Amino acid sequence: METVDSNALSAQHLVKIYNPDRPELAVRAVDDVSFTVERGESVAIVGPSGGGKSTLMYMLGCLSRPTSGSYLIDGRDVARLSDDALAEVRNRHIGFVFQAANLLPRRTAVENVMLPLAYAGARGARERALEALERVGLAQRAAHRPNELSGGQLQRVAIARALVTRPSLLLCDEPTGALDSRTGREILDLLEALNREGTTLLMVTHDAAVARRMRRALRIGDGRLEADGPTEEVLDGAPARASDAGGG
Amino acid sequence: MLLWETLGTAWKALGASKLRTALTTLGMVIGVGAVVTMLAMGEGARAMVEGKIRSLGTNLLSVTPGAPARGPVRTGSVETLTWDDARAIAELREVARVSPESMGSAQVRYLAKNMTSGVVGATVPYLAVHSYDLTAGTAFSDNDLLARRRVAIIGANVARTLFGNLSPVGERIQIKGMSFKVLGVLEEKGNEGFSSPDDQILVPLSTHQAALFGRDYLSSIALQVASEEATSRVQTEIKRLLRLRHRLGASAEDDFDVRSQQEMLQVMGQVIGIFTALLGSVAAVSLLVGGIGIMNIMLVSVGERTREIGLRMAVGARRRNILLQFLVESVIVSVAGGLVGLGLGAVGAAGVASVAGWPMVVPVYAVVLALATSFGVGLVFGVSPARRAARLDPVEALLHE
Ligand SMILES: Nc1ncnc2c1ncn2[C@@H]1O[C@H](COP(=O)(O)OP(=O)(O)O)[C@@H](O)[C@H]1O
Ligand SMILES: [Mg+2]
Repeated sequence: METVDSNALSAQHLVKIYNPDRPELAVRAVDDVSFTVERGESVAIVGPSGGGKSTLMYMLGCLSRPTSGSYLIDGRDVARLSDDALAEVRNRHIGFVFQAANLLPRRTAVENVMLPLAYAGARGARERALEALERVGLAQRAAHRPNELSGGQLQRVAIARALVTRPSLLLCDEPTGALDSRTGREILDLLEALNREGTTLLMVTHDAAVARRMRRALRIGDGRLEADGPTEEVLDGAPARASDAGGG
Repeated sequence: MLLWETLGTAWKALGASKLRTALTTLGMVIGVGAVVTMLAMGEGARAMVEGKIRSLGTNLLSVTPGAPARGPVRTGSVETLTWDDARAIAELREVARVSPESMGSAQVRYLAKNMTSGVVGATVPYLAVHSYDLTAGTAFSDNDLLARRRVAIIGANVARTLFGNLSPVGERIQIKGMSFKVLGVLEEKGNEGFSSPDDQILVPLSTHQAALFGRDYLSSIALQVASEEATSRVQTEIKRLLRLRHRLGASAEDDFDVRSQQEMLQVMGQVIGIFTALLGSVAAVSLLVGGIGIMNIMLVSVGERTREIGLRMAVGARRRNILLQFLVESVIVSVAGGLVGLGLGAVGAAGVASVAGWPMVVPVYAVVLALATSFGVGLVFGVSPARRAARLDPVEALLHE
C-alpha cells in the first residue's frame, strides 16, 4: 500500500447499490472497485454507457456515499463524514464540471463563479472570481449573463467556478459532450493546463479521443473495474493492473 | 457574504415571475389588511367612547325601567318609572339635576317636508344634564311645562332636513298632526354611538305625555350627582328609594336599573372589544389562507429549482444554507404582502373612520402584530417547502429534468 499522504484519493472495495431495500429494483451500479490516484494525475474513466462511470464519479465527488467500501480523499474517510462535512469537502477540495454548465440563469458570469466562495465564507470573492475568469480567458465576459454566452464560454465559466476555491481535485463528467470538436479541444487544453499546474484531474468520457488526453485510464463495465493502466493500453484492450484486479 | 448571496438569489427568484409573486402575496395583503382595518375600527370606536365619557363627566347616573340586564341591551319596554319617581329622586341629598325623559317616535312635517323623528319628552334640566347647547333660539321654561305648551327644540339634522338653510326658530312644525312652535335648535353633536341628539326633537315632558303619546311612564331618568365621589352613594340611595316607592318586597328583584353613564359606556367599550376580536379572528383566517398560498407556491418553486439546488449542493451549500434560502424567500413574500396589507388596512381604517365619524387610529400594536404575523406566517408556511429542498439528494437534484 502507498502511504495516504501521497494519494489524492483512495477507493477500496467501493460498492454502490441503488434501491438496496427493494430487491426487484436494486442495481449494483458500482461493484467492488479499488484504485488509488496520486496527486497531479490525469485519469480518464471510460466504459460503456450504463457501466457505472457517473455513479462512481458521484461517490468520488462526495455527492453520494458508497453502500460499502471505503473512500479516502486527502486522507479523510468520506463514509464517516456528516452531510455538512461532505458539503465542506465538495466546497474546498473538489471542483465539478458537468456536461451541462448548470449556471444560474439570471446571474452574471462572475456572480456564478462567486457562488462556491459564498458558501466558503471567503473574503474578496469578486476579485477571486475575476481571477478565475481571467484564468479561463473570459475576463471580458464577467458581466455577461449565461444567455449572452456561447456553449464553450458557458463551459469555461463552469470551469472557473470549479477552480475558484483552488480545489485539489477536478471531476469532469463528459465536459465536452455538448460541444463541437474544436471548442471541446479548447476546453480540454484548458483542463490539461490546470492539471499541469498540479490539480488532480478525473474525467468521465465515452470518447476515446478525449480519454487519450489523460495519461491514465480506468475502464468500468457492469460496475466493475475492468482495466486500469496507461490510457493507450487500457483503450487498446489491456487487462486491469495486476495490483488492483487482484492478479487477473 | 452568504447573506448577500441569499438575498440576491431571493430577489432574482421572486423577480423572475413578478405576477406569480404578486399573486402569492395577495392572500397576505388581504389578510393583514383586514386584520389591521378591524383593529383600527375597534380602536376608533373605543376612542370615540372614551371621548364621550370624558365629555359627559363622571357624575352622571341613568335610571332605566326593568330589571338590570347583563349587557347594554334591554328587552321590551317596562312601565315602572314615573315622573313622581324623578321628583322624589330630585329631593335626595347630593343630587344636582334630574332629567326625566320619555322617548317616542313620530311623523314630523314642515310645509311639504316630511320625516320620522325621535321625539323626546324632556324637562328644563335636560340640556344641562346632557351638556347640550343651542345654536339658535331658546330652551323651554317651567311655564311651558306647566302649561303643556306645544313647543319644540329640534336637532341639527332635523333642522337641516325640514328647513334647509332657513331659520327654524319661530316656525311651526307638525308632530303627529299637531302644530308645535320651534323654540330653538340643538348644536350638532355628530355620531355618538347608538343614537344622536341631532336626529331628535325635544318637547315638554308634560306635552309629550298628555298630547302626543298619552302615557305617563318614563323611558329613563338621567341625573347629575353633586360630586363624583358621591356617585355610588347616590346610586345606593336611589335604589333604596325606588324599591320603597315601587313597594318591592325583600325578595323581589329591582324593577329598574341605576347605572353611571361611565359604566354604560364601559359596557359599550367591552362590546366593541368583543366585536373587534371576533371580526379580527375572522380576518385572521384569511392569513391562514394566505400562508397556504405561500406554501403552495414555494413548493412549486422548489420543484422548478431542483437542479439549481443540486448545483448549489455540489459547490458546497450545506443543507441549512438551502433551508435558509427558501425560508428567506417565503418570509420576504409574506412580509411584503404584510406591508402592502398594512397600507391597505390603514386606508380602509381611514375610510371607515370618516364614514363612522370616529377618530382614525391605527394602533402601534396593530402594526407590530401585522408585521410579526406576516413574518411568522412566512416562516411557518415556508418551513415545509424549505425542508423539502434541503433534504434533496444532491445527485438526484442534479439529474432532475
Ligand atoms: N438513481 C438511480 N437509481 C437506480 N438506478 C440507477 C440510478 N442511477 C443510475 N442507475 C443505474 O446504474 C447503472 C450505472 O449508471 P451510470 O452510473 O449512470 O452509468 P454511466 O455513467 O457509465 O452511463 C445503470 O444501470 C443505471 O441504470
Ligand atoms: Mg453517465
